[in-house]
Amino acid sequence: MSAFLAPYGDYGVEWLPLLLRAMMNTALLSVCAFVLAFVFGLLLSLCQKSSFAALRYFAALYVTIVRGVPLLAVLFLLYFGLPGIGIVFDAFGAAIAGLALCFAAQVAELFRAGLKAIPAGQSEAALAAGFTPAQSFVLIILPQVARVILAPMIITFVSLLKDSSLASLITVNELVLTGRSMATEYFLPLQIYIAVGLCYFAIAWPFSVLSRRLALPATR
Amino acid sequence: MTGFSIFFSVVEGLVAGLGVTAFVTIASLALATAFGFFLALLRQFAGIKLIDPAIDACCEILCNVPALTHLFILYFGLASIGVKLTSITAAVLGLGLIGAAITCAIFRAGFAALPGGQAEAALAAGLTPLQTIFEILTPQAMRIALPGLGNYAVQLLKDTSVVSAIAAPEIMFFARSMVTSSFQTTMIYATAAALYLLLSLPLMQATRFLERRYGRLKG
Repeated sequence: MSAFLAPYGDYGVEWLPLLLRAMMNTALLSVCAFVLAFVFGLLLSLCQKSSFAALRYFAALYVTIVRGVPLLAVLFLLYFGLPGIGIVFDAFGAAIAGLALCFAAQVAELFRAGLKAIPAGQSEAALAAGFTPAQSFVLIILPQVARVILAPMIITFVSLLKDSSLASLITVNELVLTGRSMATEYFLPLQIYIAVGLCYFAIAWPFSVLSRRLALPATR
Repeated sequence: MTGFSIFFSVVEGLVAGLGVTAFVTIASLALATAFGFFLALLRQFAGIKLIDPAIDACCEILCNVPALTHLFILYFGLASIGVKLTSITAAVLGLGLIGAAITCAIFRAGFAALPGGQAEAALAAGLTPLQTIFEILTPQAMRIALPGLGNYAVQLLKDTSVVSAIAAPEIMFFARSMVTSSFQTTMIYATAAALYLLLSLPLMQATRFLERRYGRLKG
């Protein structure tokens, strides 16, 4: 056990700044991708509710396809595949785009479930009380939806954070790729990958705990 | 070569990975379901002081660290201290253990959703605690858990693509190695994506059927 732990004492000072910088990259990548996924997911769920059949079909098709295709295939397609037809992304941009495209579908499903959870009486009452449909949606419905989907939305962010590790396979210099280059430099893959795992845990776990705290009794 | 014959050779190349993708998916699913169910029973009914926090801690670690990192620890990390796993063993073990944490939560939610009266009535009717758990509670909890398990299976099928990173010869692995020998990058990855879609559509359909039949699992 002490032989296992010794490298942390020997190299900890060298590893820590490398890992911290990689953590920042992972966090930046995840937050950018999540914001984009959130916006795109909201648009998708508006498409699902749209009165235009074409938009509804597009949203349904999009969600089905994205649910059935691995993120890794999407990332490879964006980063290695699209240059073949003249569209070039840098690795970080491709990772953000890929994560956002895939997680938008999950965000859209959350919005849909959230909207379904609000009783119809809420908007009926708002309309009867003289609110316009837009006012009723923004002032009455959305705040309640936000409360319902808050906890699952945080869990979705944790999933995205974990899946951002796949960006290492398209050469984004985040935690896992940093770990790989450290492992080839120090020949201590076990200690280094465990340290990488701890870094992810340090970011993800507080969000997991927060999400459980915020979960509503009915959905817990 | 014409476009079509290139396409067919790409499909042929990718299908070579189908067996390993299917094996890793099914073996991980079996390990995850069996071990997750066992953990859920322990956590829900045994009430052993030291075991409960240990199970919780393991689940937290498995659920808050990416699969890729777990796979690297199992495959590259353990090899450095002399425990050499094949890439497929490491893949099944890694995905299976992560899956056990996920299915444990799904099964526990299933047990927790049952009204307390079920166990009380079974015990009052003279069934032993073990009979109560296995003959009364488990079948009902299983029905509640099924849609959640279906969603997990779809996710797992897609996640097996990650094990190409530890050189397990599945679909994505063949896609990546074909790309290095031909320049049909766009078509190869698009075909791989389509192949995964083709595999997951029936699973998604089955899950939707289970959801309609047994009601949506909340949470």
